Amino acid sequence: MSEKTETEISSLSFEAALSELEKIVAKLESGEAPLQESIAIYERGEALKAHCESQLKAAETRIEKITLSKAGEPTGTAPLDE
Amino acid sequence: MTTLLVCQPEDTSHITPEGHPERPERLIAIKQALSANRFSQLRRETSQSADLSLAALVHGPGVLRQIQAARPAEGIARIDADTWVSPGSLDASATALGAGMRALAAVALGEADNAFCAIRPPGHHAEVDRPMGFCLLNTVAIMARLAQQMYGAERIAIVDFDVHHGNGTQNIFKNDKDIAYLSSHEMPLFPGTGALNETGVGNIFNAPLLAGTDGEAMREAYRDRLLPALSNFAPDFIFISAGFDAHHRDPLANLNWVDNDFAWVTGKIMDIAEQNCANRIVSLLEGGYDLKGLAGGVTSHVAMLQDGTLKPGG
Repeated sequence: MSEKTETEISSLSFEAALSELEKIVAKLESGEAPLQESIAIYERGEALKAHCESQLKAAETRIEKITLSKAGEPTGTAPLDE
Repeated sequence: MTTLLVCQPEDTSHITPEGHPERPERLIAIKQALSANRFSQLRRETSQSADLSLAALVHGPGVLRQIQAARPAEGIARIDADTWVSPGSLDASATALGAGMRALAAVALGEADNAFCAIRPPGHHAEVDRPMGFCLLNTVAIMARLAQQMYGAERIAIVDFDVHHGNGTQNIFKNDKDIAYLSSHEMPLFPGTGALNETGVGNIFNAPLLAGTDGEAMREAYRDRLLPALSNFAPDFIFISAGFDAHHRDPLANLNWVDNDFAWVTGKIMDIAEQNCANRIVSLLEGGYDLKGLAGGVTSHVAMLQDGTLKPGG
């Protein structure tokens, strides 16, 4: 069951994972879910959160700065200084 | 002071696209500003064409070849994102060199105390092997070599107060201890060079200025760093790369200099010229793209060259 969950989560886009995570948070905060279900969805939420974080980190390493010409026109990109 | 103004015979030889800031109207605005009564004592001359092979004094052979290859029979052609060449651009380059040479001769031979060349295209971004940043040939660099070769000057200082770092001039002279390059410029800004720690062989002095700063920061940079360095260098001849785009009106940069700031820095350079090299200064136009800012800056710069004093209220 957990393997299937992980595979399924890893194929989600950032937006889809975030959206599902937000729904889980809302459900947990509402207190409507019984305890067993709460634990299960909490675990899924943790997995979704980890997935979102790794996607953000991958995006950060691809951010570059745009280089401008003298007249202010974009001419290309260069690595962002750390 | 006896001040010589040298202009090119044509303002419109070098054409850039519609809307490009480096445009013929810049020279027209300068000439209009310098037609005011207070400049009635200026000596005025029109330049002739110089030999473009002089480019070899500082550039590799590829630069002229690249410009000639790009030069269209009609219309305009692009060399890079900023830099264009039209059928008359090499004529403009030749008369810009000619203006520099006339000014250099007049000042070196004592016909004038100092000189200003109202020329385009600008030159200080042109490196050994590439034209760039609106510039085709590095006119001031070629003049520095000519001052050595034709007039026996040994130690040449080039002071550059254009708001953009003169990467070309620095690139050309970074290993030459007899030529000092001293620059104030906005940083970060095109072309990206000009950090404090770029010092060549001890002959490069950079004073980066932050966006939004004004004449106060400029004065501090000159007092603390550039003027002492210039004085210590003890030049035989001083060239100025005179760009006026640090003016608060300029659209390409973000410094807030006013007209008087250009007069101030000119006066300080003149003080050192008086102490070291009998007032010898040749100033060449680089940037400055708002016509009013350009006119105001040039007026203040040339008035100081001529009169040697800040105008009342300065």
